[in-house]
Amino acid sequence: MRIKVLYFGRLKELAGCSEESVEVRDGSLIEDVFRTCSTARPELLQFRASLVAARNCEFAAWDMPLRAGDEVGFLPPVSGG
Amino acid sequence: MASGYPHDRIEVTREPIPDVQIARGVRGEANGAVATFDGCVRNHSHGRSTLYLEYEAYETMALAKMREIAAHLHSHFAIDRVAIVHRLGRLQIGESSVFIAVSAAHRAAAFDACRYAIDTLKKTVPIWKKEFFADGAVWADGELPPVPAETPTRKPAS
Repeated sequence: MRIKVLYFGRLKELAGCSEESVEVRDGSLIEDVFRTCSTARPELLQFRASLVAARNCEFAAWDMPLRAGDEVGFLPPVSGG
Repeated sequence: MASGYPHDRIEVTREPIPDVQIARGVRGEANGAVATFDGCVRNHSHGRSTLYLEYEAYETMALAKMREIAAHLHSHFAIDRVAIVHRLGRLQIGESSVFIAVSAAHRAAAFDACRYAIDTLKKTVPIWKKEFFADGAVWADGELPPVPAETPTRKPAS
């Protein structure tokens, strides 16, 4: 299934793009998508502990199962205001 | 998105924030107080002189989270109208990055709700600030928003 992935802040600079479409197995979790995205860019892995994930604009646990067409955001610590 | 509070104003913008207009916009005839918070760009950070800032957002989610804050204010404080406007893009020293206005019959609720709104925005709204200095740029240290706990039953037994 295809998942839309969004990167922000320093993660966007590291990933080299703000969004991409990735193919993962049906039943994949957010964690699996992050691992897939990190395959081509292992440097993303060092940020794993300082990221939160969002699914369809809602904060989500890393073990949240996904559906085809879901939008997953990987968010560094927020610093608005 | 439809809101139960048609007078609320929840926005992100790339233009200078019209603070006076926003503050007047929350004022109703039943209100005795309008509390505002004006977050502005300061000229230093951790001892370094700041040249300017750049803000970026996960816009759809940021707006959703800002609406959640407004909804929380309506259900927990005796207030009338809420405005939360955050600016994105490049901001110069002294410009406003966020402006919050809350109206209420009495001042205590307006102050309390306004304080809750900015404190919560800084923890939960997906917006990021990059600070530019004469000798480089850094993403500002931020706060990691609280997330739902993982589900133990989804983990393989150990």
